[in-house]
Amino acid sequence: MVELRDVSYRVGDATILRDVRVRFEAGRMNVVLGPNGAGKSTLLRIATGLAHPSSGKVMYDDRTLASFDHQALARRRAVLSQHVELAFPLEVADVVMMGRYPHFGRVPTARDRDVVHEALALVGMLERAAQPYPTLSGGEQQKVQLARVLAQIWSTDANEAQPPRYLFLDEPTTNLDVHYQLHVLSIARTLVNQHTTLIAILHDLNIAFQFGDHFVLLDRGGVAFEAGSAREMPMDVLERVFDVRARAITDAVSGEVLWRFELRR
Amino acid sequence: MAAPAARVTVRGKYATTYVALGLLLFVALIASAGVGAFSFTPATMARYIAQGLGWSRAADADALARNVFLQLRLPRVFVGALTGAVLGVSGALMQGLFRNPIVEPGLAGTSAGAALGASLVFVLGGGSVLAFTRPLGTLAVPVLAFIGGFGATLIVYRVSTSFGKVNVFTLLLAGIAVNAVCTAGTGFLSYIARDPQARNIIFWNLGTFTTADWRGVELIGVVFAICFAGVMRYEKALNSLMLGEDAAAMLGFDPARLILRLLVLNTLMVAVATAMVGVIAFVGLVVPHILRMWRSSDYRFLIPASALLGAALMEIVDVIARIVIAPAELPIGIITAVVGAPIFLWILLRERWQGSAAFYG
Repeated sequence: MVELRDVSYRVGDATILRDVRVRFEAGRMNVVLGPNGAGKSTLLRIATGLAHPSSGKVMYDDRTLASFDHQALARRRAVLSQHVELAFPLEVADVVMMGRYPHFGRVPTARDRDVVHEALALVGMLERAAQPYPTLSGGEQQKVQLARVLAQIWSTDANEAQPPRYLFLDEPTTNLDVHYQLHVLSIARTLVNQHTTLIAILHDLNIAFQFGDHFVLLDRGGVAFEAGSAREMPMDVLERVFDVRARAITDAVSGEVLWRFELRR
Repeated sequence: MAAPAARVTVRGKYATTYVALGLLLFVALIASAGVGAFSFTPATMARYIAQGLGWSRAADADALARNVFLQLRLPRVFVGALTGAVLGVSGALMQGLFRNPIVEPGLAGTSAGAALGASLVFVLGGGSVLAFTRPLGTLAVPVLAFIGGFGATLIVYRVSTSFGKVNVFTLLLAGIAVNAVCTAGTGFLSYIARDPQARNIIFWNLGTFTTADWRGVELIGVVFAICFAGVMRYEKALNSLMLGEDAAAMLGFDPARLILRLLVLNTLMVAVATAMVGVIAFVGLVVPHILRMWRSSDYRFLIPASALLGAALMEIVDVIARIVIAPAELPIGIITAVVGAPIFLWILLRERWQGSAAFYG
């Protein structure tokens, strides 16, 4: 579980986050929603430890984030960003191996190499292991980055007693076509278990409602609404926060609620 | 699909490359030790070395040749090789810090800043302005070179980096500005200096191994060993910096601390080498670039390989310097610039054609 306790974040005179109090439970897909500038990325930077709150605390399973050792935390907490650029060409397997850096000294162990193998297999990129990373398409690169991030917090057996893991996805599907969007998020869904707290920032509301279990809607630095399903999300709040007109459409096949948005006149 | 590369260790993967580089270095060292106004066959060299170490008795007949070999040629070979290794590793390191393949100590101000610091001691060392350096003795030159090099590099890094990203245009412009100021300072010092100091500065600004002695070998050898061992500890961190400072932080590295430490180690090596042999451009650019194209940008490979190739290339350049206009010698920096600058331009063009996003930051 990741918990933000009365977190505020100020830069100069601007308040980016104001008294945010929110809990992200393990065992479900937590989704953070909100318009541009609502503070989603800042919230994620604070929750991962990249930025420090001006006031308030971040708790990882009742332990303050600040009390963790950097290396120890890196073995349990991983972050996938929107688009990761690699400054120099490396082989795909070497990129994924970076996820294992917190786990070994100078030379990777047999287990580290196994994990890289399994992570690449999970995202369906095993046959590209020896290929230079820059030659991959954007969607393939994002899957390799997902494999890297998964390798970082890899656990062999979901049922075994083990320290909790924390996985953050910062708009993981931006720039991806619909196939890769669905693929990346369905891989993410398979990771949901009682040992893993999964938090994703998503832009596409329909994709978010399709894959998420719990929704935190941010607006101007505060939590506007929390909901456990798409049906619970009130239409008027969505309309106000995103400044659009919204219509709910029920899918004839699955019975799920889909949304259609239009600009307000 | 055979077993994926993930199952091969890095050291094993590049074993043949290391052997090839080691052989190249060995041949270059032998050639460099043998060629020049006095030339020596490998057998003669072996005999002189044995005599120098006291393993066999010296014959008085070739005392002059033996002294030339042991007191002039050998120290020169070692200073050259160590300088090449320093510049190669430094280039690889700075490219990693700036996340850009065109950075090297000459471009980022490290060399020019170190040169300014060293020139200060050369020209004003006896005066009251630099009285505080007197207790340092002969170490005053490397110490001021370090201060100058570190200051210059830090300015270029700070100016060209915003929000953890390096902007390549700002980097180049900041490099030009800082280099211009340092070069102007060095120029001013050589202007106010009397001969022969002034002549020394000019010659030394072009890079030269002629002043090498065993004391110099000791100093640069010890500094290189310490810095190299230090840099080896950060190979994984350098790799993770390729993903950006945030991603490196999420892998458990502290980017701010990492960058500061690497800048210190880097400047220490480069400043000592510059204080001793002067400014030698483009080696730090070309060496890692060849290795990146040939094999890999993985820092666990690139750092040791850059040391080997840098040393070997520097020996080859030194041999050329000694034979082109024999019996006179060309300054080292002239050769590295003539060979290195076209390669630099070629990298710029290639990156532009490819439109590499990482390059343009």
